Amino acid sequence: MIRSLILLLAALLSAPALAQSVSEQPHTRLEIIAESRTPMPGQPLSIGLKLTPKDGWHTYWQNPGDAGAPTRVAWTLPAGMPDPAPLAYPVPETLVVSGLMNYVYAKPNTLLTTLTPPAGTAKRAAFTVTAKVDWLVCSHEQCVPESATVSLPLSIGDGTTDPEKGYMIALARAALPKPVEWAATWKVANGRFVLAVPFATPEKVRSAYFFAEADGAVDYAAPQAVTIAGDRIRIETAASPDVAGPVKGVLRVEREGDEHELGFAITAQPGEVPAAGLPLAGNRPVAETPTLGFIIIGAILGGIILNIMPCVFPILSLKALSLASGNVPAREAQRDALAYAAGVIIVCAALGGLVLLLRAAGSQVGWAFQLQDPRVIAGLLLLVTAIALNLAGVFEVTASTGTLGDNTIRKGGVMGSFATGALAAFVATPCTGPFMAGALGAALVLPPLAAIAVFAGLGLGISIPFLLVGFVPALRRRLPRPGAWMTRLRAILSVPMFLTALALAWVLGRQAGVEGMTAGLAGAMGLGLLLWWLGSRQHGGRGGAWVPAGVAVVVAVAAIALLPISTPAQALGTSAPAGLRATRYSPEKLADLQAAGTPVFLYMTADWCLTCKVNEKGAMASPVVAEAFANKGIAVLEGDWTRGDAQISQWLAQQNRAGVPVYVFYDGKGGSQELPQILTVSELVALG
Amino acid sequence: MKTMMFAAAMVVATPALADARVGAPAPAFTATAADGKTVRLADLRGKTVVLEWTNAGCPFVRAHYDSGNMQATQAAAQKAGAVWLTTNSGAPGKQGHVDGAGARAQLAADKATPSAYLLDADGAIGNAYGAKTTPHIFVINPAGTLAYAGAINDRPTADQGDARAGTNYATGAVKAVVAGKAPDPATTKPYGCSVKYR
Repeated sequence: MIRSLILLLAALLSAPALAQSVSEQPHTRLEIIAESRTPMPGQPLSIGLKLTPKDGWHTYWQNPGDAGAPTRVAWTLPAGMPDPAPLAYPVPETLVVSGLMNYVYAKPNTLLTTLTPPAGTAKRAAFTVTAKVDWLVCSHEQCVPESATVSLPLSIGDGTTDPEKGYMIALARAALPKPVEWAATWKVANGRFVLAVPFATPEKVRSAYFFAEADGAVDYAAPQAVTIAGDRIRIETAASPDVAGPVKGVLRVEREGDEHELGFAITAQPGEVPAAGLPLAGNRPVAETPTLGFIIIGAILGGIILNIMPCVFPILSLKALSLASGNVPAREAQRDALAYAAGVIIVCAALGGLVLLLRAAGSQVGWAFQLQDPRVIAGLLLLVTAIALNLAGVFEVTASTGTLGDNTIRKGGVMGSFATGALAAFVATPCTGPFMAGALGAALVLPPLAAIAVFAGLGLGISIPFLLVGFVPALRRRLPRPGAWMTRLRAILSVPMFLTALALAWVLGRQAGVEGMTAGLAGAMGLGLLLWWLGSRQHGGRGGAWVPAGVAVVVAVAAIALLPISTPAQALGTSAPAGLRATRYSPEKLADLQAAGTPVFLYMTADWCLTCKVNEKGAMASPVVAEAFANKGIAVLEGDWTRGDAQISQWLAQQNRAGVPVYVFYDGKGGSQELPQILTVSELVALG
Repeated sequence: MKTMMFAAAMVVATPALADARVGAPAPAFTATAADGKTVRLADLRGKTVVLEWTNAGCPFVRAHYDSGNMQATQAAAQKAGAVWLTTNSGAPGKQGHVDGAGARAQLAADKATPSAYLLDADGAIGNAYGAKTTPHIFVINPAGTLAYAGAINDRPTADQGDARAGTNYATGAVKAVVAGKAPDPATTKPYGCSVKYR
């Protein structure tokens, strides 16, 4: 009797233990849930395993990333019931610990599957679903494998949804990535894995991340650079060595206006991918983006300042002095001013429009991109040399000189003023650094018309001084009377022009090597000699000036056409002061340094960027800075955009910048800080 | 289900951020061992070298030591003529970090006799090889080329039974390298706790 009582007691005690649907483990709570307690035979029944890690702990996605382990389950089902489908995992989170990537859930997560009671199972037949679950739960410091067996008593019925558990299952289903049949493609070039996924509302994407389902596609810990190329989300990251075939995974997308992130289960086929596109909506901070009006005002102010740049000032001042003669009729002065302004604005808007067009076509270009081509630099060199020689009085530009490029520049009249404006805008682009980077960067992510308005604003700024001279008679009267001194002033103003030519020759040398620079200088010399010949004919009062002028044009064109445009060997070095021990930027290097927790001072430069060079010879060259960087272990990376570079263009796009210079400090703990474009020693020393 | 995951882990296994690639020269290093001696990879040219990443606090490592699988694997490799270097890249203050005395005590407790126990608290060797997990195994051939990188076996669990069972990739790789052949597989996905770098 007592014996049977004990047996009964034991049975009573053990029965609830077997039927537990919840298990509390030291670091995780596990619960098994079913959509219905009374499933219908032949109908799929959703079953969920809900893992709730304690605060500070996480469980893993099906692909755990660099370390960790997926959750495993072994089912015990009544005879005749087929094994459930593999577990479906919700969209995971990323967690980087000591430079290793973990794909995890640091929150309750429900793994879903379905099982189907065989058709024809008797109504009210009771059965139990038992799952032995093994999972790994980790904190930042340690990992603990946990294991529990949970079971759920069910009985065959009408399939009524359990109100509470049914809701939990519905939530879990909503957290799964949505399977989609999008024509995603991937390609690997130079160790970079690029994924392109068509997306319906690319302009709303604030962030995106690709979780590769299996090993061998991407380097998990490498940063993923996301841009919008046309109607596709483009993700670029470091590739695994042997990626091949279809690549499956989950694309996580955060959109503007959405409460939750979206997850899509995608399969990418090997194929063509676009070049890096525009930055994400997420990289345009809503609160910080200045209004369009503010951007345009910034561009106008920048344009005004450009007038005192060495490349623009002589052109402007001579143009202004041409109106100083006092007897220029007001109407004519206004007409000249308007024509000049039109020339400047149209060229600025056209250059800006071209940038936008090329970017829309998928090309990686930024403001002043035309200066990345040594042939353009050579052309500018010859043009500036000719202007300088003209200012120096070597030759005159008259209607009879024929087809020389700047023949209309100093000629009176509407066309002359228009051409002067166009020239001023064109040669001003290399000087657009410090004052306009913000405005132009913002412009590139604006709608095209608004962007063009910003570029036009820049042009308006450049032309404002001359507009004032043209429209305010009082200003004109204040200009000194013309006289012999003007010839001397002209000659003096040729000095900054010659200096500009010198700078351009240097840039040409950096871009196309000694051969390129020699070719450019030879062209300049030939042009100079011919212009001198032209001048001597002019001064001698002889006709036929078109002969030397024509030959000059031929020489100029030939010099540009014959320019060797090979990249010089110096492309492997950096232009940073030696004390900084800078190395060349590559996304991989940056990722490696960040993974290692090394603080990084990264800057983007170009030889044709005056501000960049000033900073490099100034604040950055200070031994105090070199010492501070060395003491704090700050690594220096330099990206040289002189000849254009897709990786740098992409980085700039991420930073929402249109051009160089850009200075960014990564603190090695995941934070970063952008520095102003004019650096000071104290700022640099204070880093880290 | 279980087999599917193993299959998935095996078929697509390639180390992700391994700076040291199989087929490429193994990164050189100089390390201080638990016994105070200096170990240079360059001095071991001509021998098969195994690097094992460890963390005595990691359940995956525990499974292999408590089951005796790791000791057996080490002994088999050394018997075949390989040099076995147990390496600890745990940073001070992190789980599993040891100094020389701690490492010797751990070896004694586990009755493990690797050729040396390397102290890599700054993670230099770990980063050079791209060691991600504990355990993580690298096999270097006598010519100094990395021949195998990945898991110790094909059972990615922290279960002692699984530790002893399955295919031991480390033993297989050592056997192949000693016989002058390339291991197959030459790369697998390592599993375990993340290396507790600083």
